[in-house]
Amino acid sequence: MAGRDPRRRALGAPPPAAAGFLLALPLLLFLVALVLWPVSHLVAAATHGPGAFRVVLAAGRYRTALVNSLLLSAAAAGAAVLLSLVPAWVLARERFAGRQLLRAAMALPLSFSGVLVGFLMVVMLGRIGAIPELVRWLTGRQLLAGAAYTPAGLFVAYLYFEVPRAVLTLEAAFRRFPPELDAAARTLGASTRERLLRVRLPLLAPALRASLALTFSASMGSFGVALILSRRFTVAPVEIYTELTGFSNDAVAGALCLLLALATLAADRLLAQGGRRWRRAGSGGGLGGLRQAAASGTRS
Amino acid sequence: MPTTMGHAARHASRVAGLAIGGAIASGLVIAAGFAAAPSSARTAAPATEKVVIQYDCIPNYANWGSVTALYKKVSGVTVPPDPKGSSVALAALERERDHPVADCAYYSGAIGLQAAQKGLHQPYKPKGWEVIPTELKDPAGLWWTVHTSTIAILVNTKALGTAPVPRSWHQLLDPAYKGMVAYDDPTWGGTSYTLVYGLNLLMGGSDANFKPGLAYLKQLDANVSSYPRESIYNAVLRGEVPIWINADGNGYKMRHVDGGPIEVVIPAEGSFTMPLVMGMAKGAPHPEETRRYFDWLLGPEAQAEFAKAFFRPVLARAMPADVAAKFLPAREYARARPLDLARMAAAADALKRAWLDEIRGAGR
Repeated sequence: MAGRDPRRRALGAPPPAAAGFLLALPLLLFLVALVLWPVSHLVAAATHGPGAFRVVLAAGRYRTALVNSLLLSAAAAGAAVLLSLVPAWVLARERFAGRQLLRAAMALPLSFSGVLVGFLMVVMLGRIGAIPELVRWLTGRQLLAGAAYTPAGLFVAYLYFEVPRAVLTLEAAFRRFPPELDAAARTLGASTRERLLRVRLPLLAPALRASLALTFSASMGSFGVALILSRRFTVAPVEIYTELTGFSNDAVAGALCLLLALATLAADRLLAQGGRRWRRAGSGGGLGGLRQAAASGTRS
Repeated sequence: MPTTMGHAARHASRVAGLAIGGAIASGLVIAAGFAAAPSSARTAAPATEKVVIQYDCIPNYANWGSVTALYKKVSGVTVPPDPKGSSVALAALERERDHPVADCAYYSGAIGLQAAQKGLHQPYKPKGWEVIPTELKDPAGLWWTVHTSTIAILVNTKALGTAPVPRSWHQLLDPAYKGMVAYDDPTWGGTSYTLVYGLNLLMGGSDANFKPGLAYLKQLDANVSSYPRESIYNAVLRGEVPIWINADGNGYKMRHVDGGPIEVVIPAEGSFTMPLVMGMAKGAPHPEETRRYFDWLLGPEAQAEFAKAFFRPVLARAMPADVAAKFLPAREYARARPLDLARMAAAADALKRAWLDEIRGAGR
């Protein structure tokens, strides 16, 4: 009966299946043109000629680059999310002068290309970077000069754009955090530690996982920063570039591309799996709202 | 509200999906980098404007910025800047073999010869062909030299601090220069490939034995700050990189045109001269414009413009006297010897690989 009610239909009833398909068509075309077709091209390149995957996975520069990519991205994602917890909470829950300005400033590094971030690192931590020059001026000692070109410098550069990403993701989730649950737990006699472990963390876990997945994936694909800064320490995207530009080696470049994508996919699935276990454990009702908030936050 | 929860869960996994998509997409962007570069070059000029697309047209290398600006003034034709090094230009032409985008390319000699050998060029003999010495051009017109340069140590004396100006390859190994030295990644730039190939011969190696050269470069690695894959001209001028092993002309230009505290050193043990060559791409989309451009590049006007950036014009009489006077004396250049381009081209892939494995290392 409800379906025949014209008001209801106009408001919220699902459109017919054909309309749904038509609406999804642009997305489908987008997927084919920008994901499926290029990926099939990569698969063709990687499987053309003998054993590109074997070459890449054998001990050597390529495998090292893949492992480095995984380690650096995991470290950057973990550190970024950890560092972002307090700032995101403050931005979400506290009211203070300049809050909007701070938020806008946080978003700025996200708009910089990797190459630009690389040059910024050189300006700050290069051989005559601002920080080593300041240290020399203050203490008369040569410290941190050229740190930009070390793996540690690369890690800091990754944090430069991953921390804002994590802050903005988490902030959106924290803003939806239901304070009444925390208050209820307190009324029922839960200690601070208990409230953190049994109420806050389970409620915030999905947002943390979404934030980790996002920062990790972005780091895996990042190219410009390492291109400018890496000396010996190499990451997979830079090796892909070198194989293509230095040697026109489509097979190895293609295999590296696919393995990089697969590794990212696997890591993200792992984070999602962890999420399912959480849900099965069956935590409180505020979870849904938080997950949604985390999800919507990533779009900002 | 359980429905909200389920919805949110799906939402969260979609976010992860988006993130993965992002990572894959950025991988693809790299892969598509080649395809993107020429199209961005093309959009630099409106459709009605006449253009010639030159791969490897770095504005502050060999004065290409001024040369192309001058050409625009005299002919109305735009030659957009292009940041590829020689090797990248070669790789791009190879990739676009079936659908050419570029009209021509500029390389260090051996890489240009390699491109011609791979069948990426079509013959053309520009006006003024006769002035080019025989060993600096292909008899069929597949490539020819536009100017020459010499590998040198370019030193920012102010950034050097208390360390003395290095005078030899051997002296560059001194720990006093730790973190100060840079030379381009030879898998990126042809100038650096010339350096690596030449050093190997100088240190007693051969086309079959790269060990002597790589052993030296491995020792030098202790002092190297980076192996750039972009032009670091400005970084050297600023002092971020105090010692750059590159073409002598770039050092003279920093000193005399940009007023930097730069000294050019031809190392005591010897150095190498490098012809810089051009060729017309097979299937060039603008053949007539390209031929006219080539004719002009060998003429006195363009040749003098190259000379202003201290690259020696192949048309020797185009070298202005005041520019010639600013070069180091001829006896310094007596130590620089030419390299056999054909042998350099044949060794290119193997030597670049060996450099990557030995010097850039396993990436740890």
